[in-house]
Amino acid sequence: MSFISVTLDELERDALTELVNIGVSRAAASLRKMVGKQVLLSVPSVEVVTQNAAAALIGQRESDDLVAIRQEFGGAFSGKALLIFPEDNSLDLVRAIMGDELDSAEVASLKDEALAETGNVILNGCLGTIANMLDQSLQMSLPKVLYGDGKVLFDVNKEADTDGLVLFLYINFSVRDRNIRGYIAMIMDLPSLGMLKELLGDFISRVTADSNWAVGG
Amino acid sequence: MDKIASARNELAELQCKIGEARQRLELTLEAAGAAGVWVWDIPGQRLTADARFAALTGQDPIELAKGVPTSRFFAGIHTEDVRRIRLAVAGILAGAEVFSKDYRLLREDGGIRWVHADGRTVLDELDQPIRFHGTLVDVTDRKRTEEQLRVAQTAGQVGTFEHIDGYGTVSVSRQFCRLLGLHPTSVLPVRTINLLVHPEDRPIIDPKLHNEPQPDRNIEFRITRADTGETRWLARRGECHEDLEASGLRYIGVIYDITESKRIEERLRLSNEALSENVRERTRERNQVWQNSRDLLTVVGVDGIIRDVNPAWYTILGFEQPSLIGMSFVGLASEQQQGNAKQLVSFDPGSPPASRELELVGADGSPRLFSWDAAAEGELIYLYGHDITAERRQAEILRETEALLRQSQKMEAVGQLTGGIAHDFNNMLTGIIGSLDVMKRRIDNARYDDLDRFMNAAITSAQRAASLTHRLLAFSRRQSLDRKPTDVVPLIHSMRDLLTRTLGESISLETVLPPDSWQVITDANQLESAVLNLAINARDAMPKGGQLRIEIANVTLAEGAIPSVDGAAAGDYVRVSVIDTGEGMPEAVMEKAFDPFFTTKPIGQGTGLGLSMIYGFVRQSGGHVELASEVGKGTNVSVYLPRNLETAPVITIADAEPTPLGQGETVLIVEDDAAVRLLVVDVLEELGYVALEAADSDAALPILQSDARLDLLISDVGLPGLNGRQLADIARQTRPQLRVLFITGYAAMAASRSDFLGVGMDMITKPFAMDELATKIRSMLVGC
Repeated sequence: MSFISVTLDELERDALTELVNIGVSRAAASLRKMVGKQVLLSVPSVEVVTQNAAAALIGQRESDDLVAIRQEFGGAFSGKALLIFPEDNSLDLVRAIMGDELDSAEVASLKDEALAETGNVILNGCLGTIANMLDQSLQMSLPKVLYGDGKVLFDVNKEADTDGLVLFLYINFSVRDRNIRGYIAMIMDLPSLGMLKELLGDFISRVTADSNWAVGG
Repeated sequence: MDKIASARNELAELQCKIGEARQRLELTLEAAGAAGVWVWDIPGQRLTADARFAALTGQDPIELAKGVPTSRFFAGIHTEDVRRIRLAVAGILAGAEVFSKDYRLLREDGGIRWVHADGRTVLDELDQPIRFHGTLVDVTDRKRTEEQLRVAQTAGQVGTFEHIDGYGTVSVSRQFCRLLGLHPTSVLPVRTINLLVHPEDRPIIDPKLHNEPQPDRNIEFRITRADTGETRWLARRGECHEDLEASGLRYIGVIYDITESKRIEERLRLSNEALSENVRERTRERNQVWQNSRDLLTVVGVDGIIRDVNPAWYTILGFEQPSLIGMSFVGLASEQQQGNAKQLVSFDPGSPPASRELELVGADGSPRLFSWDAAAEGELIYLYGHDITAERRQAEILRETEALLRQSQKMEAVGQLTGGIAHDFNNMLTGIIGSLDVMKRRIDNARYDDLDRFMNAAITSAQRAASLTHRLLAFSRRQSLDRKPTDVVPLIHSMRDLLTRTLGESISLETVLPPDSWQVITDANQLESAVLNLAINARDAMPKGGQLRIEIANVTLAEGAIPSVDGAAAGDYVRVSVIDTGEGMPEAVMEKAFDPFFTTKPIGQGTGLGLSMIYGFVRQSGGHVELASEVGKGTNVSVYLPRNLETAPVITIADAEPTPLGQGETVLIVEDDAAVRLLVVDVLEELGYVALEAADSDAALPILQSDARLDLLISDVGLPGLNGRQLADIARQTRPQLRVLFITGYAAMAASRSDFLGVGMDMITKPFAMDELATKIRSMLVGC
C-alpha cells in the first residue's frame, strides 16, 4: 500500500484538516438546524493516498457494504467528493436526522432521500468552506447515492490506469447521542492537488502572520 | 489626617492580604494541578486567563486577569509548534467548533513543558463565533509516559488497545494496526479487528464483557494479516477495569506476535508425536515378530526359569504359553541333552554352549531338534530356537539316497568293467589253454617239433593278462608306484623301436627331445606304459595314417594354469605331449575322456581305462594332465610331471640282459600259495641258489631264528598270521643285515613302496616273469 504523503507536508495537512474542521463545523451547524438537536462533527486527520489504496483502506476497516453520497465539484481545483458510511450505520444516521418516531418502512422509503440531503449539507459545508477560506469559488453537482464496496466507490476497476489521488478524511459524527463513523473522500487528479497545495501555502502564510485573522473577522 | 493615615494603613493591610491571598491561590493551584483557563473574546480581540494559565505560559497573572491582546495566547509556545497552533486557532476563529491540541511551552528554566489545550467556540444567535474558551493542562508526564510506551511498543512490537464495553470502536496504537497488517490509525471498528481472527479462535475484542472486572485474561489466536493475507499467531493480554468516565467496563490490553514460538512449539509437538508414533510403531513391529515368528522365542531369567515364550511354542511343541512360564528351561530338554540345555542358559561367558543344537521334547513326547542362539542382557537371557527337525530328516534322507546312488553307480561300473575284462581274459585264456592243450597233445604223441611256437603263444597271452591286471591295479591306485628321479628323454628314446612297431607303417613318428630336459620324479615303468597307451590311442585315432609327435618340454606353471582339467599347483614341470593328426574328439567326448570305463571303442576292444589310468598315475605322481582336441585336426594329450629338485642317481633303462645266475647263496621263500612257492623254488634252484621254503610265518620263524646261513628272505606280503613285513622285522632282530624281497599281488598298505620298505628291502609285484625275479634277486645280493 503506497501512501503519497510527499504531496502535502505536515503543516499543509494540518491546514487542510483545520479547513475541513471549519467546513464540518458549519455543516454541523446546518444539521443542528435541520434536526433541532446537538450535532457534533470532527475530523481528526487527513491522509493523501492513491485510489487503490483508498479502496483497500476502506475495505480493511469496513468489511460491510458501504453507502456513499457523491458530488462532483469544479473550480480552481476539481474532482469528486464522497461521504461514506457503513450501510447499516447509514440507517442510524437517517433515524438520527429524521427522528425516532418513524417506523422502519418509512425509514426505508426515505432513506436515499435523507442520505442525499444530509450528504449535500455536509459536503457542501465542507467543500464550500474550504473554497471560501482559500478565496476561491466552487461549483457542485447534485448529490448521488451509491451502494457498494470500496472498489466500486473509488472507481478502482474502471480507472485503473489513471490512478488518481484521494484526500481521505475520517470523521466522527455524534447525533442525538448516537455515535456514527464515516469518511469523507475527495478524489482529485494531480494538477488539482497541486493547485490545492499552492492555495494551502498562501493560506498558511496569511493565517500565521496575524493572530486575530478570521474570515470577515 | 487620621482618616487618611488609617485609610493608608488599611490599604497596606489589604494589599498585604491580597498578596498573601494571591500567593495562597498560586500554591493551591500548584498543589491541585488544576487546569489553566482562558477566554478569548473574539469581537473584542482580548484574552483573559487565570493564574494557572499565566504560570504555565510564564506570564504575569495580574495582566492576564485584566486582559491582554490575543497574541499573548501564543506566548511561550515552542517555535516548531506555533504555526500549527496558529492554524488551528484560525480554524476556530473561522468557524471550527472543536479545538483539541497538544503542544510544547518553553519554561523559564529553558526546559520544555507539554500541554494539552481543549477549547470550544461559543456562537451567537447568527452562528457567529463570539468567544473561544478552554483549558490548558500540563501533560509533560503523560507525554513522557506516552513516548516511553510508544518506544516500548515499537521495540517490543507490542500493540495496545482500549475498548469500552458496548462501543463499536476500539482505540488502538499504531503498532496494534501494524501487527494486524492494517493501515495505522487510532480508532478501529470492533468488527474490522475481529474479522481478521481465525473463525475457530476467540476474537481479540470480547463482544460482551463480564459484569465485574477480571484480573487477567490471556488468549492466543490466529489472524489473517489484512495486507499480505499471511496467517500469524498473536497473543492478547489485558485487564478489565471499571471505566472512570462512563459507567461500565473498560478493557485495556496488548497484543503481540507469537508466531515464531508457536512454530517452534508446533515443530516440537510434531517431532514429539513422530517420536511417540515411532516408538509405538517399533513396539508394534517387535510384537509382530514375537507373535508371528516360527522360531521359538523365549526369555529366561538368570535362575533358568522361563519368563515368557512366544506362540511358536504352542505351534511347534504344543505347549500352552501359561503352562511354560515359571518352568525350568532345562527341564524341557530330553534327559541326555540336559547338560547342553544348562550350558545354553548359563550366563558364564567362559563356557559357551558346546552344541548350539538342542533337542526338546514336545507336549506329545516327540523330540524335536532346534538350533539355538542366545543373548544375555542384564538379568535375562533371550533364546531363539530354530526348528531344524525337518531339515535334519531331509539331510538324512539325502545322505541315504546318495549312498544308494553311489552303490548303484558302483555296481554299474563293476558290471562294465567285468564285461570288458572278462572278454579280454577269455581271449587270453583261450590262447593259453589252447596252446597248452596243443602242446600236451603233441607231447603225448611225442611230436616235439614246433612246440616253441605254442609255448610263446601261451606266454604272450599270459603276459597280456598280467599287463591287464597291472593296469587295473594302477587304475584303482592300489598298485604301488616306484617313484624315482627319472630322465624322460632317454626313456622316450628307448621306446622308439617299440613305438614304431606298434604304430605300423602308415603312421610316422616324430620325437622332440631337448637335451637340457629336467629330471622328473615318477615311476618309469608307469610312464612308459602311459606313453605307450597314449600312442596306441593315437594310432587308433588315425586309421588312415598320419603323424604322431612326442614332445618333451620344460615348463613352469602358475597356479591354476590348466583350468580345463584340474587346475595345477604352481611349479616346474616336464611336459610330455603326445600329439596326433587323427580324428580328434568332439566336446562331449572330451568331457568324459578321463572318466573310468569310458571308451569309444567297440566292447571288448578296450576297457576304457586308458586315460583314466594315466590320469590316476599322473595325479599320484603329483603331476597334471591336459587334453586338447579338435574334430578333424587331432588330439594333444600333455602329461605334466613334477621336476626333480634333488640330485639323485639316475635309473637308466638297461637293455635286456641274459638271466643272471646265483652262486650258491641261501634263499628262504615264504609263500602260502603252493603253486607259486613251487614255481619260485624251482626257478631258484635252477638259477643256482639254495632254496628253503615255508608256507607261513610259523614255519619260517624257526629257520630265521636258527644259525643256518641265509642270504635272502623272499616273502609274500599277505600271509596268514604274521604278515610279511612283521616277519621281516622279527628276522631283522637276529639278522640285521638280512635282505628281504617282498612279493605282492596288491599292497594296500604299500601304495607308495618307499614308505613300506626299509633299508635292504625291495618288492616285486605279482605276476612276474622268472627273468624279472632272477634280476631282482641278483641285484639285491650283489648290492651288499
